[in-house]
Amino acid sequence: MTASIGRLTTPASIFNRLHAWLTDLAPPLACMPLEFQQLVLWLIPAAPLAAAVVISLLGPKLLRERSHWPCWLALAVSTACALVLLTNIMPQSFEGGDSATGVVAVGYPWISIGEMQVRIDLRADAMSTLMLSMVTSVSLLVSVFSAGYMHGDRGYARFFAAFSLFVFSMAMLVLSGNYMQLFIFWELVGLCSYLLIGFWFQKPSAAAAAKKAFVVNRIGDMGLILGIFLIWTTFGSLDFASVLFSPETLSQAATAHPGRITTICFLLLAGAMGKSAQFPLHVWLPDAMEGPTPVSALIHAATMVTAGVYLVARSTPLFALAPDAQLFVTGIGAATALLAALIALTQMDLKRVLAYSTVSQLGFMFMALGVGAAGAELATAGATAGMFHLFTHGFFKALLFLAAGSVMHAMGDVIDMRHFSGLRRSLPITHWTFLCGAAALAGVPLLAGFWSKDEILAVLHEAGRHERVGGFFTAIYWIAAATAFLTAFYAFRAYFMTFWGPQRFPPEAGHHPHDAPPAMAWPLRLLAVAALFVGLAAAATHWFARYLAHTPGMAHEGEHAFHIDLMVASGVIAVAGIALAWFMYVRRPGLAASLSQAGRRLYDLSYRKFYFDELFLAALVLPLRAFAWLCYMADVHVIDRLVDAAGAAPRVASRLPRLLHTGLVSNYALMMWAGVLAYLGFLLGLIG
Amino acid sequence: MTSAIDQINAAVHLVAPELILVITVCVMFVTGPFLVTEAGLATPGLRKRWVALSLVAIAFAAYAWWGAPVEPSDAGMFRTDALAWYVRGLTLALGAVLAVAFIDQIDDSHAAEGQACMLAILAGTNLVAIANDLVVLFLSLELVSIPTYVLLYLPRRGDANREATAKYMLLSIFSSAIVLYGMSLLYGATGTTSLAGIAAAQAHDPGAASLLTRMAAALLLAGLCFRIAAVPFHFYAPDVFQGVSSAAAAMLSFVPKAVGFVALLRLLPLVDGAAVADSAAQEPALRVLLAVLAVATMLIGNLLALRQQHLHRLLAYSSVAHAGYMLVGLTVGPGSAPVSGVSALLFYLAAYGITTIGIFALLAGATSSQSPMRTQTDLAGLSRLHPAVALALAICLFGLTGLPPTAGFTGKLNLFFAAWSAGTQLGRILAISLALNAAISAWYYLRLIAVMFLEPPAEEAAPAKLCLAPAVAGAVCSAATVLLFVAPQWLWDAAARFSP
Repeated sequence: MTASIGRLTTPASIFNRLHAWLTDLAPPLACMPLEFQQLVLWLIPAAPLAAAVVISLLGPKLLRERSHWPCWLALAVSTACALVLLTNIMPQSFEGGDSATGVVAVGYPWISIGEMQVRIDLRADAMSTLMLSMVTSVSLLVSVFSAGYMHGDRGYARFFAAFSLFVFSMAMLVLSGNYMQLFIFWELVGLCSYLLIGFWFQKPSAAAAAKKAFVVNRIGDMGLILGIFLIWTTFGSLDFASVLFSPETLSQAATAHPGRITTICFLLLAGAMGKSAQFPLHVWLPDAMEGPTPVSALIHAATMVTAGVYLVARSTPLFALAPDAQLFVTGIGAATALLAALIALTQMDLKRVLAYSTVSQLGFMFMALGVGAAGAELATAGATAGMFHLFTHGFFKALLFLAAGSVMHAMGDVIDMRHFSGLRRSLPITHWTFLCGAAALAGVPLLAGFWSKDEILAVLHEAGRHERVGGFFTAIYWIAAATAFLTAFYAFRAYFMTFWGPQRFPPEAGHHPHDAPPAMAWPLRLLAVAALFVGLAAAATHWFARYLAHTPGMAHEGEHAFHIDLMVASGVIAVAGIALAWFMYVRRPGLAASLSQAGRRLYDLSYRKFYFDELFLAALVLPLRAFAWLCYMADVHVIDRLVDAAGAAPRVASRLPRLLHTGLVSNYALMMWAGVLAYLGFLLGLIG
Repeated sequence: MTSAIDQINAAVHLVAPELILVITVCVMFVTGPFLVTEAGLATPGLRKRWVALSLVAIAFAAYAWWGAPVEPSDAGMFRTDALAWYVRGLTLALGAVLAVAFIDQIDDSHAAEGQACMLAILAGTNLVAIANDLVVLFLSLELVSIPTYVLLYLPRRGDANREATAKYMLLSIFSSAIVLYGMSLLYGATGTTSLAGIAAAQAHDPGAASLLTRMAAALLLAGLCFRIAAVPFHFYAPDVFQGVSSAAAAMLSFVPKAVGFVALLRLLPLVDGAAVADSAAQEPALRVLLAVLAVATMLIGNLLALRQQHLHRLLAYSSVAHAGYMLVGLTVGPGSAPVSGVSALLFYLAAYGITTIGIFALLAGATSSQSPMRTQTDLAGLSRLHPAVALALAICLFGLTGLPPTAGFTGKLNLFFAAWSAGTQLGRILAISLALNAAISAWYYLRLIAVMFLEPPAEEAAPAKLCLAPAVAGAVCSAATVLLFVAPQWLWDAAARFSP
């Protein structure tokens, strides 16, 4: 404790002083640092849960317009605890040398019947801590923003109750120590997402979007639960510690059941693809923008949708044994990234541009996660790059969504970019913060997105040197580079269309659109700072990679080198994309329209999202509807007849009981007497 | 040979919680009539004070219970062990809910007698669990039955109530006679009334008086099946449930079941030896009979519940079906399986008791003179009139169905595992029929939820006022079912401590 007094500014030292102060108050507490550690861990999910309970019980009647307070308080506690975990507890556990177990807060056995043992524990290691610190801090900022954004809504309390429940579920998901617990909270975040997408359930489109998200996710979850069953039958355990972090068990399982690990990986991947909106299960995410914008920012950009990436990164030791699955991960990621970027080029709805951008960036993360196929030593680098992009993306995408929400707020809920322009003078805060986010997304050198995207490009480039699958990865590398260019272009297309050009407002906005009020402005400013500097702080110092290398199951990396040539290249790509956007939307505003006229077919293909919804309609929904109609007809004409007949059978059969149920005591007594005789006869061997 | 008074002195510390309850009962019976005028009028609100007194007595009894040792300890007539500890805790906790549920069901002038009967029933239930003698066991059973007759009759709400009470009384007396006959045969076979003595005698000479023991087994099982409402002794249940008030139905759906299963857990091991199979490969006849009863009971209960419109009748058949589920645990028995059927049964008993009492308490809370909760259509639109009650009711109905996130799910899962892991064909059949029946039962439970949430209220009348205390008690029960789903292990450990 004395060692850290010199560094007064770090959260760790603040915590230490607090700890020292508590020591005077309650000596037993200090005697048991382990217990303090457990308290910190438990507080992270417990505080939002308590807030959710309090708000749902007291919110509608008592708290009403003050419903955000429990949520703010709880998330502040969670964030503080997550930072303590990040800066103090985890580093201490690294020093212990044995990081295989991570930091575990012992919970309780949830189901313990015979051989089936499922525990509810909290388990933190480097990977989950990093993710957790992003999740809690972004949630805190978004919750502050929401208080301004949702002000005056009828479901104000309901919003914050669901919001807190979501943060609880997400924290529990990330802190899971076994696949079963992970699955439970995986479903619970899905439920929260459903509740929040359909928050304005009076709107038919919101209700439909919620349903769509729920159904598409179930397809993926089917795979996930089957994968978990298969893990159980293969390893006889669902604990990360015994499945993922013991190389002997893994190699034994790999030799005992060849191919089994690959199957498990594909099944887990199905779940990850549903949650992280990867092609072809990406269709739900753009529709999910029907929810309130803070929800889009938190759940459908920064946190929940990255759970799939987390699942794959967490299962790196499994995927390392399944190169085929890894190739598939990268391939799907590349396809998704490119496709979504192409769709984002032409969308007119600002939130939809951002939604497709999220899908595309998640594709980037998946690309990185699969590079282990080109050599086991790259698996760690890939997972690191993917997790780092997840980390930075959480900040700048939340920022972009919140800024879009601020635009929406000022424009009277109009979000179609054709209806407004030139907002940079009337909405200065929104304009500057959006610019920061867009620049980070585009990968402008030294900003957050630049570093993480550069790492992904670097590992893909590295993988391209592999003799067997090198060609594949080289192709992926070029797709990634092209997507990066498209990303820069559509990010700044949205920026220029919204904030540049002649000043125009839609009629819904009123005469003087007002910029974000303080509750909305401060989260924007803080997130803008994060978008500008988090990459520089975490990547330039290799702090993130070194920290993540302590994750059990991740082979330790050698040295961290900068690839100056790649950095320059990706910087050039970003600037080129921005320049093109500037040329098309500021310099020659008519150019975009004439181009889209010239390439009508291509434009429509992108604008109509490659006809995926129509394709799904034709390939899945219509056949299913036809099948449903067939079933309905069969039901009405065949089954119903049978049921009627069967329904008559109980009626006939119930005539006997009804005869017996006369309501006369003497008859009941007679039946009891008959029962006694039957029992006697049976036990004496006279009957049966 | 110690004198009787010495024996009683030695036993007092074993039955401290029951003594507290019985003393309170005496106080209530004696002072109650003095607070009522000759015209039968009492101070308005007097009933609330009696409920408060009941709760205080239960709290003191619970204090005495908490301090009582779990290890078996023996004093002639009484014997406490883990089962007694578990049953006491369960009845005291649920007894508090029942006391609150009765608050508005019996008028001020009769509240003292009502609460006294309730406490006597609780004391009787506990004594069944700690009786170590056939005579004490029978007396404890009657200490449950006789106050029940009074309790059912006290609300005096018309002919239906009177008819139901009379039916229950006559048939219950009949079943008591059957039990008594079985006990006397058991005494005849072994020459002692002490349970420990009977067990010793059976162990000493398994073949002795096999015929008598078999007859005793059949009669005891038959008599106690009336309590748990198993086939074909279930006929009274729907009629009686329909006639009595919600709180009384809550009591009837749980207490007799607890009493019956605890008595069966105590008595069946004593007669098990008589019913061994002729060859080792065959299942013992008693076990086959129990399995048949389990399947028949759950099936008949569920099938007849499908067509019920009247809520109490429906829940009566549901209680029959749940007796069938619990019989699965009894059939599997402690056995050598990794999951003990007895522990699963005890866990389920708690889960079921909390859930069903919660439902009836919520119905009692939502019932008022303008809107009686009698039939399914009375539930229509409850989610708009009283959303909290509707939600709590829905959770409890989920619990009875056996869906997560409720204790009902965990309980059914335990029973299923117990039956399946027994490793016998009988066990598998039981497990599968348990699962199938749970699916059948979903139809009528979920239909109630659909009525509450999807159908509009019957007419645009002003929402009836809620009777708050029972509603809160019911809400506590429904919260407890969720809590037990989230953290079931402590209850499971308590249940698993008992192994016969």
